[in-house]
Amino acid sequence: MAAAAAAPAVSRKTETYTDTKRRDDVRGANIAAARAVADAVRTSLGPRGMDKMIASGDQAHEVIITNDGATILSRMSLVQPAARMLAELSRSQDAAAGDGTTTVVVLAGSLLRRAQTLLSAGAHPTAAADALHRLATCAVDVLHGMAIPVELSDRESLVKSASTALNSKVVSQYSSLLSPLAVDAALSVVDPAHPDLLDLRDIRIVKKLGGTVDDTELVRGLIFDKKASHAAGGPTRVENAKIAVIQFQVSPPKTDIEQSVIVSDYAQMDRILREERNYILGMVKKIKAAGCNVLLIQKSILRDAVTDLSLHYLAKAKILVVKDVERDEIEFVTKTLNCLPIANIEHFRADKLGHADLVEEVSVGEGKVVKITGIKDMGRTATVLVRGSNQLVIDEADRSLHDALCVIRCLVNKRFMIAGGGAPEIEMSMQLAAWAKELQGMESYCIKEFADALEVIPYTLAENAGLNPIAIVTELRNRHARGEKNAGINVRKGQITNILEENVVQPLLVSTSAITLACECVRMILKIDDIVTVR
Amino acid sequence: MTSSTVAKQDDLMDRRIGLRLSGPTLSILCHPCLAGHAFYRNTGVRLIGGIRGRLYHLTALLFSLAWICPPGPRLTFSTLPWLFFVQMERVLKDDAVEEKGERARMASFIGAMAIADLVKTTLGPKGMDKILQSTGRGRNVTVTNDGATILKSLHIDNPAAKVLVDISKVQDDEVGDGTTSVVVLAGELLREAEKLVNMKIHPMTIIAGYRMAAECARNALLQKTMDNKENIDKFRSDLMNIAMTTLSSKILSQDKEYFAELAVDAVLRLKGSTNLEAIQILKKPGGSLKDSFLDEGFILDKKIGIGQPKRIENAKILVANTAMDTDKVKIYGARVRVDSMAKVAEIEAAEKQKMREKVQKIIGHGINCFVNRQLIYNFPEELFADAGILAIEHADFEGIERLALVTGGEIASTFDNPESVKLGHCKVIEEIMIGEDKLIHFSGVEMGQACTIVLRGASEHVLDEAERSLHDALCVLSQTVNDTRVVFGGGWPEMVMAKEVDELARKTPGKKSHAIDAFSRALQAIPTIIADNAGLDSAELISQLRAEHHKENSVAGIDVISGSVGDMQKRGISESFKVKQAILLSATEAAEMILRVDEIITCAPRQREDRM
Repeated sequence: MAAAAAAPAVSRKTETYTDTKRRDDVRGANIAAARAVADAVRTSLGPRGMDKMIASGDQAHEVIITNDGATILSRMSLVQPAARMLAELSRSQDAAAGDGTTTVVVLAGSLLRRAQTLLSAGAHPTAAADALHRLATCAVDVLHGMAIPVELSDRESLVKSASTALNSKVVSQYSSLLSPLAVDAALSVVDPAHPDLLDLRDIRIVKKLGGTVDDTELVRGLIFDKKASHAAGGPTRVENAKIAVIQFQVSPPKTDIEQSVIVSDYAQMDRILREERNYILGMVKKIKAAGCNVLLIQKSILRDAVTDLSLHYLAKAKILVVKDVERDEIEFVTKTLNCLPIANIEHFRADKLGHADLVEEVSVGEGKVVKITGIKDMGRTATVLVRGSNQLVIDEADRSLHDALCVIRCLVNKRFMIAGGGAPEIEMSMQLAAWAKELQGMESYCIKEFADALEVIPYTLAENAGLNPIAIVTELRNRHARGEKNAGINVRKGQITNILEENVVQPLLVSTSAITLACECVRMILKIDDIVTVR
Repeated sequence: MTSSTVAKQDDLMDRRIGLRLSGPTLSILCHPCLAGHAFYRNTGVRLIGGIRGRLYHLTALLFSLAWICPPGPRLTFSTLPWLFFVQMERVLKDDAVEEKGERARMASFIGAMAIADLVKTTLGPKGMDKILQSTGRGRNVTVTNDGATILKSLHIDNPAAKVLVDISKVQDDEVGDGTTSVVVLAGELLREAEKLVNMKIHPMTIIAGYRMAAECARNALLQKTMDNKENIDKFRSDLMNIAMTTLSSKILSQDKEYFAELAVDAVLRLKGSTNLEAIQILKKPGGSLKDSFLDEGFILDKKIGIGQPKRIENAKILVANTAMDTDKVKIYGARVRVDSMAKVAEIEAAEKQKMREKVQKIIGHGINCFVNRQLIYNFPEELFADAGILAIEHADFEGIERLALVTGGEIASTFDNPESVKLGHCKVIEEIMIGEDKLIHFSGVEMGQACTIVLRGASEHVLDEAERSLHDALCVLSQTVNDTRVVFGGGWPEMVMAKEVDELARKTPGKKSHAIDAFSRALQAIPTIIADNAGLDSAELISQLRAEHHKENSVAGIDVISGSVGDMQKRGISESFKVKQAILLSATEAAEMILRVDEIITCAPRQREDRM
């Protein structure tokens, strides 16, 4: 404090160097950091994009191999605030569209590069930011102009767009299997009452090691990634199953208030054991009386959900038991089985049970799962059993499947498709550049510059595919100028073709949300002129 | 006079040795009659000074005094008087620091101006944002343009700066907007005051001048206000303009018309009450800002229990805060002793029975929707499901309080007297989906003015900032609904006030007129900063603006978009009079308060165990 006179402006604790930085430096540093992030994921864009291996955790024990932009960025431990904003951008795209998470970051990086050029040319950051906003609105219009309507009944188109999403992934060789699977799973949960809603939580993905991705299947029913409990030799296969989902415990009673049983002599102990047996037997009898032969038991923390003794009795009663069902799974399970959860033995009635043709334990790879099929009046849910030869592949298959499902969800929400392969970006770039010429002043200059920035997508696609990016991009421009709106990069053939004929399509929502989100994020970064360290 | 000479001396010394000086030590030591003592006992001083950790500058001081005072006999006095001086100088406890006079004032000027400069760049439609990076765990990042948000999260160690942060907070609580302007104005007032102080004008004179000027400015503004209370359409367009002006400097600027509409609708629903609690702002990531919407009803971000109806019409709602596991004996260590398993089972059954009774009692209220703040466990959930009652568990505190407010119910925690519990009502309860999440929607609620604004946006950052911006707009609007006077924006009010204050300065004799003049300059700094932030030639623009305002009834202000002086009426740039008045008055008061300071005493921090 006393130093205030000698050394002025020590009004804040100067713990970091940042708050003395000049404003341009702050902006420059932000842009540089954000671009560094964008460059890091750039190589994973497109069907010939490369994967990243991410080692995290203590001593880098946890390894993930992925191509998914959102996953890469969420695993990177970023510190610089602007870099973190880019990671969040990717997460938002993941939430909004599920796919295009790399595209959005690469796009933002490219826009930032152009923004830097503009700033050094003397443009006011807010002018650039405002131009970017207009650009985004206009770009969305261009995209709408290119879009092709699609019907949900048009399964083939849906499969095409799902396989475009899968093509850039590790599991791309399985896209012919996974994309119809994703489409079927997604369509089976769409409720006719709300045809434009698709809740991905209604699709459960169960991962099981062993086999190959080829063995991945869509199960019309329910799968538990658990063994049926056969500690006491209970049944593992039940036909004409009557299934009960219980939230109480088949074990000796326990009160909420603290209690202790006092045993004073040996005879009393004997009696207590007998009583325990009777108590459990009584419960099992009640369960049996309702006609139940498959029991799904919710996991319990406070007391044992089942004991050896109760398992024994249940096995005797020929009841198949699956224990440790998580509480948050209950809703999904009851929805699928079309039954009600039972929270008390007194309420155990036949009308609360679900019915299925077959419940059986099947071995899958190393482990076993319980499969429930042929469910009567099954709810609108789906389960996908993902298989793979190692954990990394399974995880990546899971993420890829998620992307594919998201693509279908986008199409359900907004029933338009658009060409892939860099075609929309080039088209936007061309049309926006033309539009910029009609405008005046700084805005026109900014929009021209940002329109050019959009070319980064075809450029990177070509670069990652080992093609000559400049030749490809210029030819693309040429073709688009001649009015071939759907000309795009055909990575497989290494040339420009009509990309629609190659079946490379993606949902409109992915493209529109990528451009709007990227613009919004860049605007935000541009408007920042100081980093303040706070509590 | 002594104190000022001492202060001067301190400063000199400060510069010469470049070290911290402690005011009290010096003022006592430098007092003429004490100086002799000090010198005679300089060895003693060294020792004691060393103990106090101020050895260096004391030595330096004594050396510099050495050629003023003639050397005298040493060690002729006993050490006792010295101990007395040491007692004297330790009026304050260890480590407590005192600053006086000029230096104290300088410290507060500098602190206040530093704060004002920090937020200055966020002012106006082309103002910039700041990243707030937290040093805490997670290193959270906030991007904001809101002065109050920036200021309240700063580390501040300067008392004057804290005063500014406080006025910004008060501004936020009172009127909601102008949080940056108030700090900037106070900072400018102090900047001007510093110049005056350097011109040897007494702070009290400056304060008197500022007071006169503020009063005059307020009256000038008051005369120029517009009031469209009578004309509903016009008033609504006023509100729209105000909302758009407020939003134009925020993240929502691009969609300001949309959001202004939204905010005005929400505020008009309140019918004059300033209870913004009835407007719920719900943030859901995903979509774009344009997807945000106003919903007439209440949305609760919770789930409906399993197996319960997903839609209820003419709902009777019981809002409760009660434990739904078991009513436990609260005495610590209470336990039940039994001697057989059957008895345990009995107790368990009894507990279940109790729960069942409780649920029956709740059902007995004739309700069809039950909302609890605490968890509803499986067992009661099933009972509710059986009774066809929609039960919502674990609604947070804010959630149930709002729900109780808007549905007109009361939060109950005992259920013995159904007739005394006030139930909430609404027309329809249903599950809706926003983005990926399922939410519960209460429509047709009792309290008609309640509504929910659902904000959608790309990321958490965007949403948080959008919420802050919208909150500002809502605050201003609700204030304006009560005080319908409106002024123009874009630097217009400042110029109007500056003109009147200038007039006053010319009429006022004496030193005060300097202060009044300074006040007018400080007012003009606001349009200057707005222009500067937009990268415009501020000197040119302000002089043009001043010339415009020389005419009677000018409506000229800075039009940042075209970068010139423009007609504020045509541009529809308006602000609430109440906000402007609050800015003017609290900035003046804060400046006055800081000017009055001539001593800063920093108390020693409480000693803490070092946990490292």
